[in-house]
Amino acid sequence: MTDIPAEPKVAEVDPARTDNVVLTGLLALPALFLTVLSLVPLFLLLQLSFAHHDEGGLWTPSLELTQYAKLLNPLFLKVAAFSFTLAIGTAVVSVAIAFPAAYFISRMRRRAQVTWLVFLLSTLSLSEVLIVFSFQVLLSGSGAMVKALMALGLMSSAHSLYPSFGAVQACLIYVVLPYIILFLYPAVSQLDDDIPAAASTMGASPVWTFLTVTAPIVRGPLLSAGLLVVIWTVGTYLTPLVLGRPQNWTIGIQISNAAMTTGDLPLAAAQAVALVSLMVGLLGLTRWLSGSGSVEP
Amino acid sequence: MFGLEITGVTKAFGAHKAVDDVSLAIPQGEFVCFLGPSGCGKTTLMRMIAGLETPGDGTISLNGRDITRQPANVRKFGMVFQSLALFPHLTVGENIAFSLRLQGKDARQRKARIEELLNLVRLPDMEKRAVSQLSGGQRQRVAIARALAQEPPIFLLDEPFSALDAKLREEMQIELRLLQKRLKITTILVTHDQREAMSMADTIAVMGEGKIQQHGGPLSIYRAPANKFVANFIGLSNLLPVEVLDRETVRFGANILKVASTPEPSASTQATLSIRPEDIQITSASQQQDNTVACKITFVRDMGSSVEVHLDCEGADLLSVVQPRDWTGAGAGDIAHLRLPQNQCRVLAA
Repeated sequence: MTDIPAEPKVAEVDPARTDNVVLTGLLALPALFLTVLSLVPLFLLLQLSFAHHDEGGLWTPSLELTQYAKLLNPLFLKVAAFSFTLAIGTAVVSVAIAFPAAYFISRMRRRAQVTWLVFLLSTLSLSEVLIVFSFQVLLSGSGAMVKALMALGLMSSAHSLYPSFGAVQACLIYVVLPYIILFLYPAVSQLDDDIPAAASTMGASPVWTFLTVTAPIVRGPLLSAGLLVVIWTVGTYLTPLVLGRPQNWTIGIQISNAAMTTGDLPLAAAQAVALVSLMVGLLGLTRWLSGSGSVEP
Repeated sequence: MFGLEITGVTKAFGAHKAVDDVSLAIPQGEFVCFLGPSGCGKTTLMRMIAGLETPGDGTISLNGRDITRQPANVRKFGMVFQSLALFPHLTVGENIAFSLRLQGKDARQRKARIEELLNLVRLPDMEKRAVSQLSGGQRQRVAIARALAQEPPIFLLDEPFSALDAKLREEMQIELRLLQKRLKITTILVTHDQREAMSMADTIAVMGEGKIQQHGGPLSIYRAPANKFVANFIGLSNLLPVEVLDRETVRFGANILKVASTPEPSASTQATLSIRPEDIQITSASQQQDNTVACKITFVRDMGSSVEVHLDCEGADLLSVVQPRDWTGAGAGDIAHLRLPQNQCRVLAA
């Protein structure tokens, strides 16, 4: 009797395993970039924040908390509080403007929508430097804004509108607005038009519908947009430096002064670490707020 | 009039007239279906009734009071949308209580009403559920309960069953009809499903090209369609080109046929003869009577409960549906003799 050789087994390939390999391969490059360009600098910053400050802009590696103790200085705390107030104010106003703008754009005819989106995208090509100096011209004593206010009788004598808190706030809102409209556009365009109509047939006024139905449904994107603005503006440097008074200066300018003027790199690093930590905390708070109580459609 | 009255309502979007001079009277407590193909203006008409669109022309009155310019949040007609439009951030109970809060009902009254409505739609103890946790049929019922919460004078439903599977759709149709009969509420249902309209409505308004083509009871529309559009849209119809000889006689090819008496159209004009497939009787050559035409069988389809016989009659395609017990067993190529009963032959404008 001859043994019949068993058929060679065809190697079985697990599709799930293949998917994992492909996924890992695709994620490897972004993960590498994230590590090299974000985590490594952050680690170096952290290390520097615990270093000992020597005279002449020098520092020696150490593990001391001296720089963090300096953060309890009332002046720094005041600047930090102001920075967050400015950033949160900018977030609230820009989201309040961007949400209805995105809503109305998303309800326009397709062609008008595309025109608006192209216009908004094109405004992103303007650098912050250009915008800030344009605002300087616009708000100057001989600028268009002052002339317009005088023509309307809202200003008795021509004087520059900057440096001022209002100028800083207005410029920051202008800078972030196109980003926020574009950020909210996808979420808003997916809103079912029947939902506000349903609220209306149940006796709700347009304002009540917006407050109790529309806004809560897009609470997540609204909070994310607000958080994005806070992240962008809390460390803003150029706008308050050019358009603000020293009391309107932010934590970004404080860090720059510590590093460039005083030459205290460990203090600047500690201030930066504190800023990042506060932002991480804010991120967690926003995540919790947007997740709690919300129900998937 | 006690009920809803629509008079000469027109609505245009740009150059397109979505609703064109529509007039309709709906008595209190009646269940009406707006039936028509996509784009015929039925949803626009319903949205105007709800107050979500403003008519370009014409008036809408409720119990004799003009409500044409009244906004939706003042009319408060309960409406179930095609997408259901449940509020995803609210629970089932909160969805139902939305209108009750606006009415100023206190927590105890709201709770009682929520329980009552959830029992009515057979969803007891679902108050705390999130909308996302419900099945399609349950969502449907919550949407109905929410629309009924404010005790609306008119109940509007815009293709509410279109997203449901066939079995659930039939169940929901029966439930809704029973509910409407129990509450005796004036109800308007928009649908493109003629079976749904036929099985649920007291009356049907068949819509086409922004106009009401015919309004009447389901059976009367089925038996006596007013025009070719209705004959084609409601069930299957054989439409044959004929020449009118007098009010009761037409010529179809070489055949002279007697038809149901009609005041229109006038003699010697071209018209269309409409007859339902189930009204055509297939007879043997020896049983020939009046109104019989000879046709060639082109195709036979045995559906089990019925037999579909496709025929070529004087160059026109004809369909006859017969009971299996009445079927002679002829095949394609055979000659069949069709009897077209006079009272089932309707003459429509060409």
